[in-house]
Amino acid sequence: MKNSRQILLFFLLVLVLVFSFLLNISLGSVSIYPNEIFEGLFANSWLKNSHAQIILNYRLPKALVAVLAGVGLSLSGLQMQTFFRNPLAGPFVLGISSGAGLGVAILMLAGSAFGIAALSGGMSAWAIVGAGTLGAGLVMVLVSLVAWRIQDSMTLLIIGLMFGSAVSAIVSVLSYFSGADALKLFTVWSMGSLGGLNWSQVSVLSLVVVVGIMPIIISVKSYNAMLLGERYAKSMGVNPTYLRWMMIISTGLLAGSITAFCGPIAFVGIAVPHLARMIWKSADHRVLFPASAIIGSILLLLCDAASQLPGSAQMLPINAVTSLVGAPIVIGLVLRKNFSKEF
Amino acid sequence: MKKSVLIAKNLTLGYFSGKSKKPVLKNLSFQLFENELTCLLGPNGVGKSTLVKSILGQLPTWEGELSLNGKLIDTFSNLELSKQLSVVLSEPVFPGNMTVGQLVALGRIPHTGWTGRLDNHDRGLIENALYLTKMESLKDERLVEISDGQRQKAMIARALAQDGKVMVLDEPTAHLDLVNRYQIMHLLRDIASKQGKSILVVTHDLEIALETADRLLLLNESLPLISGLPEDLVLTGQLDRLLPGEEFQFNIEKGKIEQKNIDSEVILKGNQTIAFWVKKALQKANIRRLNAPIFITEGDFTLIYLEKEFHRIGDLIDFLGES
Repeated sequence: MKNSRQILLFFLLVLVLVFSFLLNISLGSVSIYPNEIFEGLFANSWLKNSHAQIILNYRLPKALVAVLAGVGLSLSGLQMQTFFRNPLAGPFVLGISSGAGLGVAILMLAGSAFGIAALSGGMSAWAIVGAGTLGAGLVMVLVSLVAWRIQDSMTLLIIGLMFGSAVSAIVSVLSYFSGADALKLFTVWSMGSLGGLNWSQVSVLSLVVVVGIMPIIISVKSYNAMLLGERYAKSMGVNPTYLRWMMIISTGLLAGSITAFCGPIAFVGIAVPHLARMIWKSADHRVLFPASAIIGSILLLLCDAASQLPGSAQMLPINAVTSLVGAPIVIGLVLRKNFSKEF
Repeated sequence: MKKSVLIAKNLTLGYFSGKSKKPVLKNLSFQLFENELTCLLGPNGVGKSTLVKSILGQLPTWEGELSLNGKLIDTFSNLELSKQLSVVLSEPVFPGNMTVGQLVALGRIPHTGWTGRLDNHDRGLIENALYLTKMESLKDERLVEISDGQRQKAMIARALAQDGKVMVLDEPTAHLDLVNRYQIMHLLRDIASKQGKSILVVTHDLEIALETADRLLLLNESLPLISGLPEDLVLTGQLDRLLPGEEFQFNIEKGKIEQKNIDSEVILKGNQTIAFWVKKALQKANIRRLNAPIFITEGDFTLIYLEKEFHRIGDLIDFLGES
């Protein structure tokens, strides 16, 4: 039976997820074996005090952030691909990440561009998150105002892309006029990072992600109807305008908060939903939403593990790693003969 | 008396372009009856899609009334309407990874709870829809692996599973070959008469519509809507209104549209069937006048013109073209 195959797949992939999680927290500049981590977490007996510090205050929050970001970005991507009936839509097409980028750029760059040095010195993580959220929220509000007036989802897609490029242009202008230090700071942010979040930030991020998942759970049936396009969906009692708002709220919260906390992370949102469709061979969103969430987490945990360059203290930026992994996946998908038909 | 399900009274519809009103259809009155297959015919741009949109509740009526089971369509909510009315469109939209069974199950969306879980009643209706459209054997095939005709039948099954009184199909056979067109229209006719549905099909296939429809609606610019039995419309010559201009006419004997016979002075002697096709070919080649009759001998199929023998019509036309 097909159903039992899907359940078996879920079982297997959850195992892989647990494995990736353990792998992720045991790798790093210091290798800490999983059995020690188990003993430490459950019996509170660590080999070294420093290991407890590393695991509890650095690697564990980082791995959790990887899971949250993987879940959030893939779910945003899946929603957008279905809503726009476009296989290349991702969480960033509505200009959300550019918006977050703008917020952060204004905080980091404008200060130095206008000669206000105070900001660039002691910049707290919260200030960056706040600026990113504000920027993402601002662009979301603008896109929503436009979305209010238009009927057609393709128009919304184009408007999102236009907002994105306009915002990127402003960022370029700011970069051009800003000082070298601020520019480097911003460039590092734009490469993305899963680490460096403390527990209170992790809990805020988890809360936002949970809230962002709610609209998806409410409208899972409508997404299945949207597979046949807007006109059919309407004829089946679905209200596309309502669904559009649900999607904007959900992707805004998910992609907006993740970008604000971690910087832009490319390709996860586009590639993961396709992987889920391929592996589960299903179009049913009751399968695809959990499937994408699991694969997204696995992918980000593994990418993060790979970015640690085992045995060295150096780390690659996560955005570069996901792009290096994601680009070949997307190219491979597009080159498959039946890609457009299977979508 | 047949029970009418959908009634339009003095209906006026149109669009707003900027601040000006642009009416498309004026003063339309017609009915759709239970157990009947109705075909809506008319030239492109006359407002067929506009009418379909308003029946689907996606375009408010300007004047007049459009009611479904005694209730104005404008007062239905999206969800209420979807329980009484289902639709099949011409453009082939489908997610390839979905199976036929899953597609048909989508038809139950208006009736299920928020997760879309199917109960036994839902499953029974899905099986029945697959059975009626003869798609049971393809239930587990993915949509990417079946033909266009089969996909459109699956769409019809989906609309059936939605279990409304009325089904509206907007050019459902536009992308299909001749055999599939006939099959699907006969299928719809069967469903209408045996399942108590009222089905409206927008189509350009006059010949298939004549053969399968219980009722025709003819829309034409600047003329009131004509409604009636196909046979009545044929005999009263009203079908010709579909064909503006003088060039074409509806041939009552053959039941099809053809070019008006432009007074051809060609004389053919012999088998009538062969003479008909030869005449057609000559008409296409713009040959209206010949100095001598053409004699047709059957058996070995020979055309004799001015003592020359031809075994194919093409050869004769080549010869006439040269001389």
